[in-house]
Amino acid sequence: MHNSDLDTYQDKEDQEILELLKDYPMQDASAGFYDQAMARAAHEGTRRQRNRWVMTGFGSALAAGLVLWLIGGFFLTTPNLPEPALSEPVASIPGVTMTLEQPRTVNLVFASKTALTDATLTVTLPDGVELAGFPGQREITWQTSLAEGRNLLPLELIALTPTGGEVLARLEHEDRNRTFRLRIDVS
Amino acid sequence: MQPHFDRLWRLAMRLTGRKAEAEDLFQELLIKAYGKLDDLVAIDEPGSWLCRVMYNLFIDEQRRFARRRMHTVDEGFLPGDGLEGLAGDEDPVRDNERLDKLKQLDQALQQLSDEHRIIVLLHDTEGYKLNEIHELMNIPVGTVKSRLHRARARLREILTQGGTFS
Repeated sequence: MHNSDLDTYQDKEDQEILELLKDYPMQDASAGFYDQAMARAAHEGTRRQRNRWVMTGFGSALAAGLVLWLIGGFFLTTPNLPEPALSEPVASIPGVTMTLEQPRTVNLVFASKTALTDATLTVTLPDGVELAGFPGQREITWQTSLAEGRNLLPLELIALTPTGGEVLARLEHEDRNRTFRLRIDVS
Repeated sequence: MQPHFDRLWRLAMRLTGRKAEAEDLFQELLIKAYGKLDDLVAIDEPGSWLCRVMYNLFIDEQRRFARRRMHTVDEGFLPGDGLEGLAGDEDPVRDNERLDKLKQLDQALQQLSDEHRIIVLLHDTEGYKLNEIHELMNIPVGTVKSRLHRARARLREILTQGGTFS
């Protein structure tokens, strides 16, 4: 690949420098470094994504279908879980089954009929369940803004003990708030 | 991105001169690029684009990298610390002479400014064309040429003064 588009190494001495430069060594990447770097990038990317919220655009037809749920300001659901029927009892808590020490991403959707600025989201975790990127923290709070429509928040959870419990996600804006409960079972 | 990893690693090593810093730079690039994976698909030459992003990251963090490099040079560290692995041909005398010259080249390169060292390594060691360096560093081809010329002249001067070439 060496080129000669500016070969000013003319005499023997210069040629020797050029030959040395061509042989100038460097260390290879450590074994497994590329894979580790990709994994870290994916993890960090997810964490940053979570922090700034991923605004998802949904069609007006879908939004119209949610109109009953939007009364009251904002609503929260989990799109990767079966959505509860409107007639379902309020006490019914959606849940996921996790495998011990296996990360699982749970997507929460906050639907809002208007854009909201300076909202506060607090995620409270049961003992034995952690949020990736926040080891040892039971409660994590973000200041954030919501776009009009549906706002996706992916949470990468890891169960460290078989206990399970409930994850609470509380969204507050001015004098309103909603709390979402998610049951965690660990197999 | 994976098909470009070896090329990016080589660039990271040539820019920073040390494995730990190259790993940091490589990692920062991946994190930055990870958020733009959708855009990457639409880019004509993603490898070149990634190289430019890496170079810009390096420039943004140049003070940090320069500080680390100064520190390690003070400790007697040679960035090309894979030099010892070059020995082992059939003529041990010739090997040792070559190894000594490479070590002197290594030290001479550390005496160049960053812009000169990077250009001479990219062009004469990695085989980048002038136009590729122009695109990577976003400087005119004429500037690349003049910097390369000055870098080579300075390198020759250092190596001659140091007795590498009599």
